[in-house]
Amino acid sequence: MTGITPAMVPADLGSQLVNLCSMMLLVTSFAIVAQRRLSACVDLFAVQSVFLAVTAALVAFLTGIHHIYVAAGLTILIKAVIIPLILKRVIERLNVQREVAFVINIPPSLLICGALVILAFSVTEPVASIGFLLTKDSLAIALAIVLIGFFTMIARKKAVTQVVGFLMVENGLFLGAAAAAYGMPLIVELGVFFDVLVAGLIIGIYTHRLQDAFDSVDVSKLTGLKE
Amino acid sequence: MFDPAVIVPPALFSLMTAHVAGALVPLIAPWRDEAKNRLAHGSAIVACAAGVLVGIGGLLAPEPLVFSLPSTIPLLTIQLRLDPLSAFFVFVISLSGVAASIYALGYVREFYERHSIGALGALYHGFLLSMILVVTADDAFFFLIVWEVMSLVSYLLVVTEHEKAETRYAGFFYLVMTHVGTAFILIAYLVFYQQTGSFTFDTFRQSGHALPEGFRTIAFVAAFIGFGAKAGIVPLHVWLPYAHPAAPSHISALMSGVMIKTAIYGLIRVYFDFLGGAFPWWWGFAVLAIGAVSALLGVMYALMEHDLKSLLAYHSVENIGIILLGIGAGMIFQSYGLSHLAALGLLAGLYHTMNHAMFKGLLFMGAGSLLYATHTRNMEEYGGLIRAMPWTAFFFLVGSISISALPPTNGFVSEWLTFQSLFLSFMLPDLLMKILIPIGAAMLALTGALAVACFAKAFGVAFLAMPRSHHAKNAKEAPLPMLVGMGTLATVCVALGLAPMLVVPVLDRVIAPFTGAQLAQSVVTEGGWALMPMGVGFASISTPVLTILLAVIIPATLLGVFLFAGKLKRRFYKTWGCGINLKPSMEYTATGFAQPIRQVFSTIYRPTVKIEKDMLEESRYFARRMRFEVHIEPTFQRYLYDPVVWVFNMVANRLRVVQAGSLHLYLAYIFLTLLALLLWVG
Repeated sequence: MTGITPAMVPADLGSQLVNLCSMMLLVTSFAIVAQRRLSACVDLFAVQSVFLAVTAALVAFLTGIHHIYVAAGLTILIKAVIIPLILKRVIERLNVQREVAFVINIPPSLLICGALVILAFSVTEPVASIGFLLTKDSLAIALAIVLIGFFTMIARKKAVTQVVGFLMVENGLFLGAAAAAYGMPLIVELGVFFDVLVAGLIIGIYTHRLQDAFDSVDVSKLTGLKE
Repeated sequence: MFDPAVIVPPALFSLMTAHVAGALVPLIAPWRDEAKNRLAHGSAIVACAAGVLVGIGGLLAPEPLVFSLPSTIPLLTIQLRLDPLSAFFVFVISLSGVAASIYALGYVREFYERHSIGALGALYHGFLLSMILVVTADDAFFFLIVWEVMSLVSYLLVVTEHEKAETRYAGFFYLVMTHVGTAFILIAYLVFYQQTGSFTFDTFRQSGHALPEGFRTIAFVAAFIGFGAKAGIVPLHVWLPYAHPAAPSHISALMSGVMIKTAIYGLIRVYFDFLGGAFPWWWGFAVLAIGAVSALLGVMYALMEHDLKSLLAYHSVENIGIILLGIGAGMIFQSYGLSHLAALGLLAGLYHTMNHAMFKGLLFMGAGSLLYATHTRNMEEYGGLIRAMPWTAFFFLVGSISISALPPTNGFVSEWLTFQSLFLSFMLPDLLMKILIPIGAAMLALTGALAVACFAKAFGVAFLAMPRSHHAKNAKEAPLPMLVGMGTLATVCVALGLAPMLVVPVLDRVIAPFTGAQLAQSVVTEGGWALMPMGVGFASISTPVLTILLAVIIPATLLGVFLFAGKLKRRFYKTWGCGINLKPSMEYTATGFAQPIRQVFSTIYRPTVKIEKDMLEESRYFARRMRFEVHIEPTFQRYLYDPVVWVFNMVANRLRVVQAGSLHLYLAYIFLTLLALLLWVG
């Protein structure tokens, strides 16, 4: 593999590779929405993060902006390893039932997510058509992932699935940043990673407390806190 | 000589430094409460003394002094402007501040161990500083910021004793009212902004009188409601009797004495400065009418009040009314082009503003001393305190005389000036005004009489006769700093009453830019010994001569009685004793004192009396126990505020559906908003 430089890769091929990887991110998002088992959700999230890291690495390679490699490495470390581990431990320790609880069932969820993807593509159309970006289609995909992540937070009842939704939103944003701006400044990215890590820890603790208080991690029980 | 341009900047600098140091050091330093108290209030004394210098400098300066700081926030200009009007209010605030700070050195001991002295001191500094900034701000945006700071800090001070439920209620009430007021002030300023495109007072000043008539009317009404809510005009006065008593007494003194005066400042600034003093007659008449109603209702409710500090708070409503009578009269004269008379009205209003700050501060401190000594604000539990607390009694008496507008104190002079400006309405060309304004004078006269009755009650019940409770029996004189604080203000009260000829030329400088009339020459006559409203010649007074007359006539009468009334055989015995051993329960109570007035004005008070008798079984002529309760109807709260609150609660209950408590629903709200925005943009 040594000796391959960006110049040796046709621009078209580079762009296609990036699109392929981002597409895989979107596919994993759909898989998460369609998944019934909590621990599988977490695994799928880890897979998605790996694809994200690959996309980032590709962008780094093709544009020659090397600090994105650091971000890609951190993505693998934090999002593909540490946070899934934390979540798995939470699931294990709380002895959460396997099934994901739904506000909206899987088939309509998938339909809605499809609609969200269409929306995302149509919204980013004016930006993508400018067309100087290597990664222009990724922007639409990034927005679609953000929306799907958000939707997951709304449509699923268990706190753990909400965390996964939140992290999906984060992944989408990261992809968007990589696609639209070829990554944020390194210091910002480090900050974001730290934020995500802390958020993961806090949410882990919060889920514990929820379990203590309600004997369940179903966040709709929080309705009882209303005045 | 005293050069304002040299004196003011360093004084202003030391004022800021002392406030910041006094606020921060006790807050951070790990000292004992006593040391914190000394540092916080000691530096407050320094800051306020510097403020007095700033005020004097600004009053004497030939040109307004301007200080500005660069600011990067759009539309915000951090600029202070010290013109005579600002300087006058800085002077009044600082002078009250000096006395209140000295007083606080003693009074705050009450709060040791119970509350954070550092926090209390820091808030106190913030309160004083924000008031100074309010009256010197030269930009509407900046003004609103410091105005809000003043309101919020004073709210936090009101809820110092937040462990009591009634204090929390008072604080909440105050918070709501003050924010409603701020909203209206904002409307007034936005009217100017909308027309001028800038928030600086300078542009308001230049183009304010060129505004279209409709906008000017909106600005007038909004400013009147907004500042009126802070000043406590009827019917926006309802928060005063809750909030002022709840605060620590030195804070009450400042809130009632000077904070509500910042609203008077705002009114004069907007009407005479921004709108250029040219307005239709009914503006002035509206101010005058509200003033008259506030004065009368304020004193009437005060009379029925037996919580000493609430009583004083109601008197603030009354005195704001008297101030507005003067200002309203000035506005009416101004709209008819009688600038000399307009100046007289404003002069009366401003003089009373300063006087009220002094004597109300004094009285609240007096009430604070009684609270400190007896731990109760209920007058019915006082009695006979003149023996235990002679100095407090003396200072309270000075304050009472002053607020009752009796010579030789300051209240007399300013109320006299107010009367004069109201009587001079016969010079107006409009017949209706000629008839209506003297009605205001009559209401003011009634107000004065009721105020005398009220303070005869307050002083008599609190200080004379026998102690009515265990607490009153064991009362001790207040500590020295508290007495010094009261003494300072008592001296000022008498001095302002004896030397109006020194005060009037200074106030003249404040008013001259707005009315264009020089007044001092014509008002102060007889070589500075007498006051006479200009060119009329039928009324003049000289307070020094009056004082000398009083000082001669009273002893002469007593002497005459002693010499010529024949030798009286004097026998010392308890008054109306009828041979029974007198007990405190037989004393004349405050309720009893107010009873005739409650009867006469029962249409306004609408009292409800409840008597429970527990009779002996043997005879229905002998009661084992009797209970008497009397309540007066809280008219404004019941018929004006309760319906509003009810409507709000109903609407809020309907809207509560939105707040289901479900996390998913809230997320869905955000999500749908996001989608809608995306569709709208894309």
